Amino acid sequence: MWPYLFIAPALGAIGLVFVYPLVQVVRDSFYAGSTDTLTYVGTANYKNVVQDPVFRHSLLNNLKLLVTVPVMTALALLIAVMLNDRIRGWRQYQAIVFLPYILPATAIGLTFSYLLQRNGVLNTFLRDAGLGALAPDWLGSASWVVPAIGGVVVWQQLGFGVVVFTAALLALPAEVTEAARIDGAGWWQIQRRIHIPQIRRIVEFFVVLEAITVLSQVFNYVYVLTGGGPGNASSVLEFYIWKNGFSLGSVGTASTVSVILLALASVLIAIYMRLRARDAEV
Amino acid sequence: MIAKRHPLAALLVIPVVLALLAAGCGGGSSSSSGGGGSADEGDLTYWYWGESDAPGANKWMKQMIARYEKLHPKVHIKLVPQATDTLIGAFKTASQTKRGPDIATQWATLPVLTPAWTGATAPLSDLIPKSETDNWISTQENISQGKLWGMPQYLLGVPFVWNKQMFRAAGLDPDTPPATFDDLLAACTKLKAKGYTPIGMGNKDGYTGAWFFAIYGKSQLSSVADLQGIVTGKAKFSDPKYSGFYEQMAKLRQSGCFNDDISSLDLNQGWQLFPRKKAAMAWTTDGNALTWAKAIGAANIGVGAPPRFGNGALASYYTTTQSSSAMITSWSKHKKAAAAFLTFLHTPAALDAWYAETGVFPADKRFSASRITNPVAKQLYRLATQKSVWGENYLPPQVDQNADLPAGQLITSGSGAPSKAASLWDTVLQQWKTQHPDEYQHYQQWANG
Amino acid sequence: MRRSIPIALRQLVMVAMAVVSLYPIWFLLQTALKTNEQYTLSPTGLPSHPTLENLRQVILELPVPRWALNSAIVTVLSVSISTVIALLAAYAIVFSTMRFREALLRVNLGLMVIPPVALLIPMFVFMVDAGLINSLASVVIFYSGLMVPFAVFFFVNFFRQFPVELIDAATVDGASPLTTLRRVVLPISKAATFTLVIVNAIWVWNELLIALVFLQDENRRTLMAGLTLFQGRYATNEPLVLAGALVSILPVILVYVAGQRFFVRGLTAGIGK
Repeated sequence: MWPYLFIAPALGAIGLVFVYPLVQVVRDSFYAGSTDTLTYVGTANYKNVVQDPVFRHSLLNNLKLLVTVPVMTALALLIAVMLNDRIRGWRQYQAIVFLPYILPATAIGLTFSYLLQRNGVLNTFLRDAGLGALAPDWLGSASWVVPAIGGVVVWQQLGFGVVVFTAALLALPAEVTEAARIDGAGWWQIQRRIHIPQIRRIVEFFVVLEAITVLSQVFNYVYVLTGGGPGNASSVLEFYIWKNGFSLGSVGTASTVSVILLALASVLIAIYMRLRARDAEV
Repeated sequence: MIAKRHPLAALLVIPVVLALLAAGCGGGSSSSSGGGGSADEGDLTYWYWGESDAPGANKWMKQMIARYEKLHPKVHIKLVPQATDTLIGAFKTASQTKRGPDIATQWATLPVLTPAWTGATAPLSDLIPKSETDNWISTQENISQGKLWGMPQYLLGVPFVWNKQMFRAAGLDPDTPPATFDDLLAACTKLKAKGYTPIGMGNKDGYTGAWFFAIYGKSQLSSVADLQGIVTGKAKFSDPKYSGFYEQMAKLRQSGCFNDDISSLDLNQGWQLFPRKKAAMAWTTDGNALTWAKAIGAANIGVGAPPRFGNGALASYYTTTQSSSAMITSWSKHKKAAAAFLTFLHTPAALDAWYAETGVFPADKRFSASRITNPVAKQLYRLATQKSVWGENYLPPQVDQNADLPAGQLITSGSGAPSKAASLWDTVLQQWKTQHPDEYQHYQQWANG
Repeated sequence: MRRSIPIALRQLVMVAMAVVSLYPIWFLLQTALKTNEQYTLSPTGLPSHPTLENLRQVILELPVPRWALNSAIVTVLSVSISTVIALLAAYAIVFSTMRFREALLRVNLGLMVIPPVALLIPMFVFMVDAGLINSLASVVIFYSGLMVPFAVFFFVNFFRQFPVELIDAATVDGASPLTTLRRVVLPISKAATFTLVIVNAIWVWNELLIALVFLQDENRRTLMAGLTLFQGRYATNEPLVLAGALVSILPVILVYVAGQRFFVRGLTAGIGK
């Protein structure tokens, strides 16, 4: 009896906050108009959305941002294996690299929106160092705006990876490493053959978590850094949903894109579940 | 100590206490339609916007509220300044929830009429007598179905300004601004040769592009009906008659007329360049022009009508709008009190105080032009009282936000050809019609009626 | 001889990483202490005459303290509620023989990765109909619910490492599940609970999208939503805007500096191997 009582609040919370909206959002995707004037339109929303260049571009941007995931994973692994050797000051370095992760993306976005202006701090610095060619209009050019956002994302998320990987590495049994060392294995070999494979599960966890993050938790950056511009160049799915659903009251469009976003997230989850199942068998 | 032994209880007590706090802070003004209330009492919430157009507006409004509350002790007005980029969205949410302010500000014409058509606002013409509203200038911007839906507060002219010193140095006549597009290009070339940035604007937030539509989108049009035709779909936007100005805008960019960081600066940030003598020309508001006159010297600033980019009848129309309009919400329980306060804002003392504080012209016939002594202001006033139209007013907010603003950004960031900018309009117009057929219907009725 | 990255190079990489991680925060701090004129003259340099004027303006003249209070209330409430809910549920899942436990866990895992933005519009409409829009209760409810899956996942992981004998001993002694939870499990879970509370609190404190949509009334905004207002309103006064941003990050930094070691240890304990 008691387990059901204990679990009831959680079920209630999940029912209200997850199940009800999920059902609603699917239902709403078949309607058009604002909340007080909804009319049934069948699959018209899906057709229109898929044909909307801004939607396609937003989706493409989320996919482009996925590129940051291997980048931050590789960087985090590199730093973690170096910290694992317990170089001098490793705890301090870990603390420093983790700090950006906990800071509010809004405040960070504001800071970077000034740093990344065309004649802002970063470019001034690059130009002074003679690297003016590497100083584009980060936030004002359609080709650079998504990499710029990606850079800010990596800057913030890196610390999380470093901490999680370092902790996992530190927890590894030292005997295996010692044995390999005695056998004459080089530093790189130890990292590649022994350390990293042993923390594979954590790495997978991090990769999936970050993939979902760039798919559905980058609204803050886009809203503060670029407002989706220039000319929708940096729009992402969350931004598209917010803009159409709330700024402009097009509930149907926003719900449709929400359903699509959910479908994408499910794909990622399915992949992750597969990986976990495979690991469990191993 | 209790927390140590009963951590669970502690976890529950804190939330309960704070839940009471939160409940106490919960909810906006309660909803119910109707309710005119008495003219002399009530707690009003006023969502106000105007500081961007007229620096000093917030200060003036606070003064007016203080004065009014002294005269009418049973009336309390809470002022809530609004942000530019959520001005439309926030009111949209409020009108969906039928909760929020008693008085709200929206930009003229479509942003005022769109909520009016959905019943979110009450007609001012039902609450304020014609004898009063007849004194207001530019009311035609907010009339639909024979009723008036928004009160004008000021007239915002959008002049073209130039730095006379830089013109002189570049070999240009300091007292004659470029009159046509070709003149503008020529001026740019000469200014660039002298190492000056010809034009200083900001388009990261899309507003320079929106202004370009308002100032130059009408270059080949002959009447307001043509402007409405963009939306009612009498022709496609990609017709050069409508979108030709994007070619000119692109030409300006390619010739290096704009500041190189126009794409990474907001409009307000881009407007820092001219007063800091980092750019020679700009399009700006009356209020800013006066502030900049102080910054670079009144003898040094030139103000005039924007260079003409085309030959349509509307091309020679100046660009003035009442910009922000005050509306009374349909769910307000104190409509009469709200109307009384709004009327107060048009009393002579209030108008004079407005002008003294902001230097922007009040939208009231009873304001005497002889009060304007500043020579630059005199020039601006002469311009502002010419025949004008502000094209952006005719766009439904969705079209403005999703087409007008991004399209201009395509041009200033160099990431889209003018044809792409134009086709964005067509796409968005189509989407709007499909997503909001009711709004489209209202628009057509309004345009035809 | 072990071939490894030379110490000097390693230190160089670490220092470079430290600089890159810290510079933007430093820039925020130093800009907040400049006047607008100083910033225009020298955006990168140290403030010639550091001034607290911006901070003063932000705290005394602008709604920042009100916003911060809103954020604090919302954070405390939603984290408390979700933690309690999750503790109960996780306890039941790990220490009972209830049916469908595995299924529930799998569903829970799936829920953890649903993007909140997809749920936003129906929740918004729900809050409108319930008359809760623009009230702190709306975000508290939504946040609490959103945090439950991760919290459950976290506690389940943690409880699975728990010595079951202690539970059995307490049950044999006749203790009710609630008592066992309170007297036996919780005292030992302090570190993990603390970590989860901190992680969730930071998430709520930093959240923007939902707060932006549910709390549009200027006075009800959370600190993050309020900051975005700042950005537009004071676009030309960067030091003032960053002073506001500084106020928003100070609590987070304080918590971090105080509990950093704890945090790292607890985070990895909860995530599991």
